[in-house]
Amino acid sequence: MPVLCKAGCGKNAMLKRPKTGDTLCKECFYEAFETEIHFTITKAELFNRGDSVAIAASGGKDSTVLAHVLKTLNQRYDYGLNLMLLSIDEGITGYRDDSLETVKQNRDDYEMNLKILSYKDLYGWTMDEIVAQIGRKNNCTFCGVFRRQALDRGAAMLNVKCIATGHNADDIAETVLMNVLRGDIARLKRCTAISTGSEGTIPRVKPLKYTYEKEIVMYAHYKKLVYFSTECVFAPNAYRGHARALLKDLEKIRPTCIMDIIYSGETMAVKEEVSLPTQRICTRCKFVSSQEVCKACVLLEGLNKGLPKLGIGKSSKAKKMLEEYNANQNSTNKAIDEINVDCQKNNCVSRGKACRSNRNKTNDNEVNSRNGEKCCSTQEKTHDSANISNTKLNTLLQDYGIPENDCGHDKNSSIGESSENHNFEVDLHNEDVTSLAEETDACGGACGKMDSMHIGF
Amino acid sequence: MKDKVCRKCNGPGTVFVRKEYCYCNDCFITNTNHKFRACIGKNKKLTSNEKVLVCLSGGKSSTVLLDLIYNGINLDSHKKLRIVPFFIHITGKYLRRIKKESESKKTTDMIIDQCQKYNFDLYVVNIQEYKSNEDISYCTNSYSSATLSAKNLNFTTTTGQDVLTKIKHNLFIRMSKQLGCRFVLTAETTTLLAMKLLSSIVIGRGSQVENDIGFADNRDGNVEILRPMRDITNEEIDIYLNIKQMYVDPKDSDQEISLQAAIRDFVLDLQENYPSTISTVCKTADKLGSVNGNNNIKKCHVCQSTINFKDSKLTAVEATIFSRIVSSEKSPESASDLPFNTKDNTMFPYIFDRFCYCCSRNYLETKGSDLNMFLSQKIEKES
Repeated sequence: MPVLCKAGCGKNAMLKRPKTGDTLCKECFYEAFETEIHFTITKAELFNRGDSVAIAASGGKDSTVLAHVLKTLNQRYDYGLNLMLLSIDEGITGYRDDSLETVKQNRDDYEMNLKILSYKDLYGWTMDEIVAQIGRKNNCTFCGVFRRQALDRGAAMLNVKCIATGHNADDIAETVLMNVLRGDIARLKRCTAISTGSEGTIPRVKPLKYTYEKEIVMYAHYKKLVYFSTECVFAPNAYRGHARALLKDLEKIRPTCIMDIIYSGETMAVKEEVSLPTQRICTRCKFVSSQEVCKACVLLEGLNKGLPKLGIGKSSKAKKMLEEYNANQNSTNKAIDEINVDCQKNNCVSRGKACRSNRNKTNDNEVNSRNGEKCCSTQEKTHDSANISNTKLNTLLQDYGIPENDCGHDKNSSIGESSENHNFEVDLHNEDVTSLAEETDACGGACGKMDSMHIGF
Repeated sequence: MKDKVCRKCNGPGTVFVRKEYCYCNDCFITNTNHKFRACIGKNKKLTSNEKVLVCLSGGKSSTVLLDLIYNGINLDSHKKLRIVPFFIHITGKYLRRIKKESESKKTTDMIIDQCQKYNFDLYVVNIQEYKSNEDISYCTNSYSSATLSAKNLNFTTTTGQDVLTKIKHNLFIRMSKQLGCRFVLTAETTTLLAMKLLSSIVIGRGSQVENDIGFADNRDGNVEILRPMRDITNEEIDIYLNIKQMYVDPKDSDQEISLQAAIRDFVLDLQENYPSTISTVCKTADKLGSVNGNNNIKKCHVCQSTINFKDSKLTAVEATIFSRIVSSEKSPESASDLPFNTKDNTMFPYIFDRFCYCCSRNYLETKGSDLNMFLSQKIEKES
């Protein structure tokens, strides 16, 4: 039996709204959907008249709907905004290249300017290259940190007053859950704010904060908007996935729980006695940071020095790692001798493994791919082979005797031909993670780190 | 497997905690006991010979709590636990699948047995007592038939469980006052509290976690609820029972679909791969408080939590109410001012006036059922 639209227009309803349980027809849904976003924008005073606003556009459903709705509302309610699109090209083959085409389509459809910034230009690394270094775990850390800063840089270039992002209610609820699971108090505190940004920085606003993902998909679908709907190829390994899975389960049981979680997040506060990092300016790149040097700089430094794990985990560890690295630079030869002694003793099995996987990665551009493959396959064997490849590593070190940062530069120049090989290797490593969970734990967290510590022995 | 050496006394180990830390039986029991005592000790709430009400559910953790208390007060050294315990069990359950009378009796009898082994008396209170405003009537060491009403169960299990918790809470506090206790002890473990924290957030009680999960809940003002087992995990409870060879009937876990059940499964699952999940979540709870936007502090009539009427311009409440307005017949133009006040609010009745966010949702959902009585009692009392 058809259900009537609750708005009283006499038509049959097309959907049931998850937020309130009301049923609406298509036209009334458009109306309600857009009016709600207008309500959010005006009530939270997100924009001022005459502002230039950059819409962070990925080509996905959220940003496409955001661009469409903002353009519609800007005309309907005369906000007087100058809207433009800002996209970041992370350099993920099979994902971002395709979605950027969608953004270009949006640019033409909505007649907005589009600015695309790429990781390659900003940082000298594409995500594909980074993943080749770091492996399939933890790579979202790089992508997220870099994108955050890239958006700031892009906004500064475009000289806009604020950046509008397509974060929807589901995203925010998911972030609340994730930050609780990870115990990340500082982020928990700010993740539900509709507008973020301290003095001197360009604020980000989330006009879709109270809009359900489901409704966004429906809206895009009924309005026949063009959007790109593939998940990032690297996303399945992210910790966020757990929070996402939980939220999806919870939403099935009780759709209103997304709003409930957001309400919880909004009314929770961190106790006064808990010390939180304060936001300041990175001493290196002059963008926002909670540390003396921002995460993006640390991660980048790690990549360039061949210590890709530098920015993963605690910052105290990073400092230690860097100190050791610097000490290394002065005494590489001495360190190599020490490794030799160490390996002769045959007592560094697990470390050998860790070193090996990393060493191969940093060296194989220089050496040859055959060597890298061989070593990787030995990972699945037992300790004996680990020792063998450990000595292999020594030979490599003796033969080439190079400090790590050279590898970094070489890498940049020879990325083209070796990237395929990298992917292959990364896959192998990934299999390794699942099959040898415990052992790779020691190594998995470590590749770069263990390496430098080892030399410091 | 790692070497079986107790990490305390270097003797032969017998049990592994988190697959990693090895203990011998004696050291494990000492350690668990210490965790319990340290939790009470460092919070400095209890004074000497304090009367406390101990809540027993018949589950594993409450069995261990009973044992820990017994051992504590029977010590003859300076470490003696100086409390005067009263034990209470609440019978009856208000869920969709009503617990069978026989099951309820079996559990009660078991707890009576447990208590008598230690020479303690058990007060048995029927959950229906929430309906009366007079003194709570109870039986001592015997089971009284609980007449469970199953009518109008048109609410979800999620809501049912939440309201049930509040009802029990209420009964514990009333009973303590009746017995002259200033403290209530519960057997909530780290594992349970981690789940409770997530559940609280998911049902909109995020601002109340300080009281719902922390060591002490002092929302009542006169009676405080303490959670002395908050540093002990369910895994440790199992090991404890095993070593002491105490057998507890496994409670049939609720097969019903609810947010709480989904979270329970999720946490246990994640704990397998990320062993620090539960402790991380609990540590997070210790650092959370609530937003206190303004000075006129109102309390929710049901759960006694401070109502956060945030000064900020827009919260999920306004957004939801606005959604309702634009989805109903009234023209959206007239909706610039939201009707917050009391009954007309079809999304959040009495919100910020008498109820907190979640209690308001519960009130709306349980309308017409028996549980609603508990909530509406609270409105009437004040008006």
